[in-house]
Amino acid sequence: MKNKVFIIIIAVIFIAGIVGSVFVLTAPQKNTVRIVSDGEVIETIDLSTAEDRTFDVTYEGHVNTVEIQNHQIRVSDADCPDKTCVNMGWLRSSSMPIVCLPHKLVIEFTDSVDSVDAVTR
Amino acid sequence: MSARVRRLTELSVLTAVALIIFVIELQIPNPFPIPGIKLGLSNIITVYAVYHYKAHEVAAVVAVRLALGAVFSGNFMALIYSASGAALCLIGMLLLRRWIDEKHLWIASVLGAVLHNTGQMAAALIVMQTPQLILYYPFLLVSGCLAGLFTGLCAQFVTLRLKNWKK
Repeated sequence: MKNKVFIIIIAVIFIAGIVGSVFVLTAPQKNTVRIVSDGEVIETIDLSTAEDRTFDVTYEGHVNTVEIQNHQIRVSDADCPDKTCVNMGWLRSSSMPIVCLPHKLVIEFTDSVDSVDAVTR
Repeated sequence: MSARVRRLTELSVLTAVALIIFVIELQIPNPFPIPGIKLGLSNIITVYAVYHYKAHEVAAVVAVRLALGAVFSGNFMALIYSASGAALCLIGMLLLRRWIDEKHLWIASVLGAVLHNTGQMAAALIVMQTPQLILYYPFLLVSGCLAGLFTGLCAQFVTLRLKNWKK
């Protein structure tokens, strides 16, 4: 009897997970990208106008190499042992950021800053 | 052989086996490039231990496995996430073993895996200070259910095979 209750709980968690995943994966792409290192925004880039380039983000002596190419962004190299951020490839979903947990680096789509800039400029 | 020494030896063997499984799993490339998603094969031993040893003994096995695992993988930052996940997972499974009998240990394993992912997520949110990370949570839930089911079923086979070992 108790087992059934737990199996139902598991089923609910599983279905919620799948629904959530679909929701996250289908979120639309945006143009502005934000690079966050150790909780601080270090750079905001408008991908639609960004030129191809490669640069390093350093955190406590550890390096992530970030590459921008054809208006896409990815982590092309990292000196961490697991390289999960490199394997994640190009940033695609607006709701799923590229994360490097060991180096506290996050690359994510963010709401456009253009409107704010237009006013302040 | 005194009962205490026997107990200590059993726990040491379990820790060593868990560590070996952990190191072997490190060599298997992960097809899912999402942080936090892993099969977690060494948790077969955790699940088995939860059902056969006292709470503090299981905690000791897991703690030593985590610490030595960090040494072998060279990934000390990951220790924060795996330790908080393991802590939540252990507390949950030690409670669950009161209600779920050994024949249905896979249920406890699945819930344990989900709790592990929840602990990881909480730690990541606190360390990274990036609320968007929560968007990984659905993926972690799905993978946690599947990985927990797999390790749970493995642990059930291990339990069957080890019935005679302890005599």
